[in-house]
Amino acid sequence: MADIEIEIDGNVVTAQAGEMLISVTDREGISVPRFCYHKKLSVAASCRMCLVDVEGAPKPQTACSTPVNEGMKVHTQNAKVKASQKAVMEFLLVNHPLDCPICDQGGECELQDVAMTYGSDMSYFSEGKRVVVDNDIGPLIHTDMTRCIHCTRCVRFGNEIGGIAEMGGTGRGEDLKIEPFLQEGITSELSGNMIDVCPVGALTSKPFRYALRTWQMNATPSIARHDLVGSNVFAQTYKGKVRRVVAKDNDNVNETWISDRDRFSYEGLSHENRLLKPQIKLNGKWKEVQWNEALEFTVRGLANQVSDNQANEIGALASNTATLEEFYLLQKILREMGSENIDHRLDIKDLENSITLDSNIKLTELESIDYGLIIGSNPRLEQPMINHRLRKAVLAGADIDVVNVMPFDFNYRINSENIISPYQTATILAEISKSVLKSVHAKNYLSNVSARDSAQSIANRLLTADNSVIILGEHIINNPQAISIAKLISEIAQQTNSATLNISATSNSIAAEMANFVPGQGGLDANAMLAAKLKAYILLDIYPEYDFHNSVKALEAFGNNTFVVSMNSFKDKVISQCSDVMLPIASFYETSGSHVNIDGKVQSFAAAVSAPSESKPAWKVLKVLADLLKLQGFHYEDSTQITSEAVNQNRQKATDERPVSVIAEAKRGIDVIYQKSPYATDVLLRHASALHATKIGQVHLASMNKSTAEKLQVERGKKYLGVPVMVTESVANDCVFINARHPIGGKS
Amino acid sequence: MIDKFGKLIEDFSLSELRGGMQITAKEFVNKKITVQFPEERTPISPRFRGLHALRRYPNGEERCIACKLCEAVCPANAITIESHRREDGSRRTVQYDIDLFKCIFCGFCEEACPVDAIVETKIFDYAFLDSRKGSVMTKERLLEVGDNNEKAINEAKAQDAKYR
Repeated sequence: MADIEIEIDGNVVTAQAGEMLISVTDREGISVPRFCYHKKLSVAASCRMCLVDVEGAPKPQTACSTPVNEGMKVHTQNAKVKASQKAVMEFLLVNHPLDCPICDQGGECELQDVAMTYGSDMSYFSEGKRVVVDNDIGPLIHTDMTRCIHCTRCVRFGNEIGGIAEMGGTGRGEDLKIEPFLQEGITSELSGNMIDVCPVGALTSKPFRYALRTWQMNATPSIARHDLVGSNVFAQTYKGKVRRVVAKDNDNVNETWISDRDRFSYEGLSHENRLLKPQIKLNGKWKEVQWNEALEFTVRGLANQVSDNQANEIGALASNTATLEEFYLLQKILREMGSENIDHRLDIKDLENSITLDSNIKLTELESIDYGLIIGSNPRLEQPMINHRLRKAVLAGADIDVVNVMPFDFNYRINSENIISPYQTATILAEISKSVLKSVHAKNYLSNVSARDSAQSIANRLLTADNSVIILGEHIINNPQAISIAKLISEIAQQTNSATLNISATSNSIAAEMANFVPGQGGLDANAMLAAKLKAYILLDIYPEYDFHNSVKALEAFGNNTFVVSMNSFKDKVISQCSDVMLPIASFYETSGSHVNIDGKVQSFAAAVSAPSESKPAWKVLKVLADLLKLQGFHYEDSTQITSEAVNQNRQKATDERPVSVIAEAKRGIDVIYQKSPYATDVLLRHASALHATKIGQVHLASMNKSTAEKLQVERGKKYLGVPVMVTESVANDCVFINARHPIGGKS
Repeated sequence: MIDKFGKLIEDFSLSELRGGMQITAKEFVNKKITVQFPEERTPISPRFRGLHALRRYPNGEERCIACKLCEAVCPANAITIESHRREDGSRRTVQYDIDLFKCIFCGFCEEACPVDAIVETKIFDYAFLDSRKGSVMTKERLLEVGDNNEKAINEAKAQDAKYR
């Protein structure tokens, strides 16, 4: 759009035609008070606080809803503006209670700030104030609706960003109430953002209620490591503890929103299950010792188990939530010792068949796609911020098709939802591939394929769209034909000029790949390490019961004749049963490090608080361990030296030469797709109590259709692998979709 | 010569001594102004800023709502407060400490308090008999001071009210 010139308070500024006045004043740093206007939400113009004087207009105009025009002359400070702002402020305060001293918003309240600057010190209103009865809207948000000023930011957030209209206004005038439509309250996975958008104390954080005043805390910028986005947050700390987490703006990553799990996971940090002191196991009994004793015990134990030329009897496994630096140091230790047994892919059944697919689309570009194909994912719960970008694309007119084993609750319009058995996923992709190719030189594995209508229409949309993306999700990782699916996707993407987005592994798994935390030449992968029953294992923040695909096998491997070094932030029964030494390490916000997000962007963060009691950041523990093992090249003074070494190391990507097979297997079983509940994906989340009380946190179901239930001889009301069964015809044949809060044992 | 003689007469007539004794004699019959502390006390301004107290409402409910404004305004960082949500859902303190060694008795806490919970009483003759710890007024001790002096506090507030 063309640049135009307007005059604000006598200064000439340039603006774009059609832009709202308030965005010009914001850009120029001219202060205009506002309540209902929010840069990421639609304009409501309901609070009337942003009144400015436009020359030629008979009355003051709201800056948030007045488009700029060439030659416009605006005054933001004259007597007329001041009088109107003062009047509006008085009007807004008519029903607002004077309970700032007990309000959690006090100190960071927009109403308080604006009232101090623009308000009067007294009110003409002497009648009784309005009182509104509060609704319980869930375990995350506390409501004090008497404080509400009807700006409708939360309502617009629900409609426009969250994608579910959960809050709304009922009644009119004096009786207007903002309340949830349903009894069950707010269920959105992004609901915590309502706390941030609320300009007053009507919506506040429930776990934080009455804990501290906002001015008591220090804010440290940090990165949330629960998903592939690495949302930017502020960890707000007080007396060495993280007391609250709020969003930090970054338009390239999380805009101004964060998911509930990024916001409320900090609660787990002060859980009583934290491992606080180094412990060693002597004759089957745990003993708390000093760090040097524990580390010497570790080094001695490793030396006893593994003689010099047997380094390949040691294996290292790490959880996906570790930082880039931790992955890098641990693999460096192992490789210096001469072992290539390194892996972070713990929940994959068959690593021979594991997915390799590059992502080649940026988060910001996801907004401007015009077609998306989602395969095997429920992005709303698995990657909420990626789902938010997809939603924006759909609102802008994009079409989304889905290939899943059961229908999920999408918060945007889906073009077609293809519910097909996991054994058919590769087939439908082959059909799409064939329809896309059409040409004579079709690949030979496509010779027997004939495309069904739905595959053909997906292919047509892929071919006609200018910006399309194929998204590969988590449900595919244990598909019997996972590698074929990934290969077919990259082939289709190539033929149709589509981008690909691989969201099949989560947390900081991209950093693990970047740090080369994968088995090298001759090394064993995670499953092979367990099967080989090595003599020693080093585990980095792993909880065998939850993290391994087959926890029974893992517990067998960590049995009697092995030496298991566990570096853990939490303790539980299983980990203390199978390890020989437990070293307490720092958790989220307690260590410096880096997260690598789906864009490949390395986001480093500093520690917001020091690790509790005697626990230490894992990179420091690993560095000292390396020194004690007399390994060379570990002279780091801070984690940033490790970061640059990890980022700059040479990585050789092996070419994938595994064959594509789309022949439906003759002998079919029942495929169990196990998906951890979104609030149980890592150890910190498993200890965050408020999240587990939410509706999303409560989900604990094994869904299957009737014929599968008959084959498995279970029914509604019974349990399958310890998870309550739900029989619904909407699930595809031959598969059970388990969404569980706790581990389901030795899975098939 | 004459001056020297005059001085001699003045000295021998004991005029200065008689002047002094005159004052003694006058004060001997005048009303005494000595205050026999601690049996007797001088009057104190209602705005006197002495030992702190936490007050209660007439129904026994503590006034303090843990807003921490006194903690924020305290120039000597003498006040430490921890808040929580009481079972009935109200905002209350779990800890309210004033370190009297740090306190400079400026009275800002009393000015900042929105509910007249923290006040400075007219008590100034306190002592820390039991170690350094005694200098920290805990919530219990502050409430006790308030309970014992509620009448005096009310009177002082009433006297000062017309100037506020």
